[in-house]
Amino acid sequence: MSPLAFAARRVSAAIVIVLILVAAMFTLQHLSRTDPAHAYLGAGASTTAVAAERVKLGLNQPVVTQFFHYVANLAQGNLGVSYRTRNPVATDIGEYLPATVELAFYALVMALAAGTLLGVASAGKWRGARVLKFVMVSGASAPLFLLALLGILVFYGHLGILPATGRTSSVNPPTGPTGFLTIDAVLAGRFGVLLNALRHLVMPALSLAIGPAVSIGRVLRGSLMTVLREDYVRTARAKGLRERRVLLSHALRNSVGPALSMTGLQFGLLLAGDVVVEQVFAWPGIGYYAAQSIPVGDFPAIGGVTLVLGVGYVAINALVDIFQRIADPRIKL
Amino acid sequence: MVPNDSLVASAESRFRRFDADSSVTRPVWIMSLQKNRRAWCAGGLLMLLTGIALVGPLLAPHNPLLPAGGPFMSPGHGGFLLGSDSIGRDELSRVLFGVRTSWFSALGVIASGVVVGATIGLVAGASGGRIDEVLMRLTDAFLALPGPVLAIAVVAALGPSLTHTLVAVSVVWWPFYARIVRGEVRALAARPHLEAARLAGATRLALMARHLLPGAVPAIVVTASLDVGNLILTLSGLSFLGLGAPAPAPELGAMAARNLPYLLQSWWVSVMPALAIFILAFASNTAGDLLRDSFRDT
Repeated sequence: MSPLAFAARRVSAAIVIVLILVAAMFTLQHLSRTDPAHAYLGAGASTTAVAAERVKLGLNQPVVTQFFHYVANLAQGNLGVSYRTRNPVATDIGEYLPATVELAFYALVMALAAGTLLGVASAGKWRGARVLKFVMVSGASAPLFLLALLGILVFYGHLGILPATGRTSSVNPPTGPTGFLTIDAVLAGRFGVLLNALRHLVMPALSLAIGPAVSIGRVLRGSLMTVLREDYVRTARAKGLRERRVLLSHALRNSVGPALSMTGLQFGLLLAGDVVVEQVFAWPGIGYYAAQSIPVGDFPAIGGVTLVLGVGYVAINALVDIFQRIADPRIKL
Repeated sequence: MVPNDSLVASAESRFRRFDADSSVTRPVWIMSLQKNRRAWCAGGLLMLLTGIALVGPLLAPHNPLLPAGGPFMSPGHGGFLLGSDSIGRDELSRVLFGVRTSWFSALGVIASGVVVGATIGLVAGASGGRIDEVLMRLTDAFLALPGPVLAIAVVAALGPSLTHTLVAVSVVWWPFYARIVRGEVRALAARPHLEAARLAGATRLALMARHLLPGAVPAIVVTASLDVGNLILTLSGLSFLGLGAPAPAPELGAMAARNLPYLLQSWWVSVMPALAIFILAFASNTAGDLLRDSFRDT
């Protein structure tokens, strides 16, 4: 199969999965304990008003018709209206999304860097490898909020060197054009704001990154151990190359495949963790938006966030697969 | 549910080789348990945790739901070993009850994931053909979605309660087990003793129950024990977001979350339950690692 055909097949599989996700969200919306008509009109609404609102919202139509309306609305970027903020959910998400993408991006970069480091270091034969294994099991066992809380207590409460909440403490941060504060600050040439934004990013991104970093490290270690038994590695050693060079330039390149797949899968965990981390650090992203919506049962908002996160996850995994196929043509789907 | 390690896979293949030269009548994993001390340690550790979860609440010095003294007592003061929370409830008692909820919730979800996943994997693997195709496509679709995120949406729709949380997580937790069992079953189905059983006229049901399922047990046991830690963390995250039992139930995640506004004055109210989760997850991950290594070394 040519790489293009492979990509086409992978993308169509992703589309099917997104459709399943959409159907799931529609079902959940129907199972939801809140009647949208009541939610929009408030507790004091009269029976006739509620009935009229149900007609307006199309809730009196057959379920199949409602489903097609739902899909048609989604296709036009209409995710419904939030019970809590009374804004279209798409508008709300558009406002909160850049903060989340920025946070997830830095967390993913940190997870990749730390995971590679952990994997390579723990695959090597040296005294620290056992300690690292212990560190990795600990990292895999720590609840996200434990790391976040300890971070706040130590670096904000005790040492006072890092901020605990929000994205920036700048009074008038740049508002465009990308919405990513670190990029906008550079574009505006305001490096004070950039530094400030990075300081706000450190703790949330790090607490998000640790779990995935450990998983990536574990898988990388496993595949490195396998590759290190290959003949060509023995050849490289026999040539008299240093162990570090054997590890880094011969073994590592052929071991990244499984670790890359793991990165894609870990992205899902990262997104779920994102909701917790944004809540702890009051990070104004869609996770915070969802966490605020949970106590009031604002399902349109939560469903919208789930759809956005789910599509992001499916897309990233499809990209990882396609990228791997290009890098290593032996891979089959 | 994270399709973790190539290591699990290598444990399985190692197991199969072992299986080849043993009698069929005695399940191999029982023999390896008899031989293997590490597996005993792992089993002991898991039993110990279960014991703590069972007995712990009986040892609680105070009622976990009622104030027993002054608010915000730091650990070791006012007769509170782990301190007291914002309305003077004993933190230790609440943690002990929370541990019970966390541990048995995780075991419950694992059990349902194993039963549902193993059934689907077994039927798919044993039937082959179109049934296999349909069941595995379904499994893959579930695997391709971010389970924990989906669980948040399910609980949010059904309304926060412990039962709903457990249902929601169970719904997204089985596909990984279905994949593993199906893989094991497909590998076993091609083996000579299965051929022999088929020739001897064993029904499909007997084949599944007596010959295919027992072969998949070690893989299930290893995967499940490595999974308990993941599940404890996922459930505590949902509880942290307010998706577990409503207040004042002593749930570890919720306890940590409700104290957030007072974090800097009374760190222990948030940190102690989080530490308890860490200890539970760490112990069960260690047990899982031991179990995996023991199967690999036999």
